[in-house]
Amino acid sequence: MDHIEHLEHTESPANMKKQIWNTFYVLLVLTVVDIAFYFALLSSHSIYKNILFVFLGLVKAFYIVSVFMHMKFERKFLASIIILPMLFICFLIWLALTEAGYTFDSRLF
Amino acid sequence: MSNTATLSTDNKQSWGGGKSPLSISYGKLMMWIFLLSDAFTFSSLLVAYGFVRFTFTTSLPNAIVKPFSHLSHTFTEEMQKAGMFVVERWPSPELVFNHFPFLHGIHLPLMFVSLMTFILIFSSVTMVLAVEAGHRMAKKEVEKYMIWTIIGGAAFLGCQAWEWTNLITEGASLQNNPFGPTAFAALFFIVTGFHGTHVLSGVILNIIIYINVVNDTYEKRGHYEMVEKVGLYWHFVDLVWVFVFTFFYLI
Repeated sequence: MDHIEHLEHTESPANMKKQIWNTFYVLLVLTVVDIAFYFALLSSHSIYKNILFVFLGLVKAFYIVSVFMHMKFERKFLASIIILPMLFICFLIWLALTEAGYTFDSRLF
Repeated sequence: MSNTATLSTDNKQSWGGGKSPLSISYGKLMMWIFLLSDAFTFSSLLVAYGFVRFTFTTSLPNAIVKPFSHLSHTFTEEMQKAGMFVVERWPSPELVFNHFPFLHGIHLPLMFVSLMTFILIFSSVTMVLAVEAGHRMAKKEVEKYMIWTIIGGAAFLGCQAWEWTNLITEGASLQNNPFGPTAFAALFFIVTGFHGTHVLSGVILNIIIYINVVNDTYEKRGHYEMVEKVGLYWHFVDLVWVFVFTFFYLI
């Protein structure tokens, strides 16, 4: 024990282990639900199907970030520093998909 | 002395210096900033995938091959003749990713990639359990969970190598794609390859951390925060896989 550092961090709750396993079950069930929906909606080309899969992906992402990556227990300011810049991605998605429609219309095979 | 005491208790003085205003160490904050930049890189690749995909005709629903049915050696050629694998049309993922090791010749759509997803989720759980054990300074437990995380990561890489070999054997590459548009194979190899590179570096980092744990490096330091930092990276790799799985295999 020659040198012990002082470390600033936010504490985990007492039931952390339970929360970890609950998150694991949520991720497991959501993945199974994903696959079930894939086969149930195989012949569908609805845009709502894509929205459903993206939504399920975002729910999984929320659980991974909040519990596994400890974001739920960090300061709110840190969460906003990391999450708010990602709003630019929404703009990029909108832009790319709109332009893709025009490219599709003018594509020559 | 009394001055420092007021600094650490008064919330308005969070930014007054002398302590972390976000209650997080410098190294961990920088890991978060790096992950934000990496998230932008991955989203650009996935948005590029979405763009290219929307410029092609949507895939035909498969009414020919049923799950568990036998696949002939000329399956790809048959699908090309049936109009499922043509250059104008984005292929249906269940007809491309339908192989499973040791069950050669059986149509098992998306089963292998689901297994890969479970492996990665499980290795994420063992990683966060190692972090939790680190908080309690339980060295033996950290060692145990780090080993499981390394095994999970290596297993995932092995699965990916097997899947790549399979697709390359069928003729898929950055410039060629028997399943339809060339961009499909190119984007698949670039995005899963970039993700696989992240998994590989994650496994290497995990091995370094494991060696340090065994050598009492963090025991002497007084905390296991290094496990947390690499853990953040490892969970991010799992997080990216959630979206790679969604866009390449499900949609």
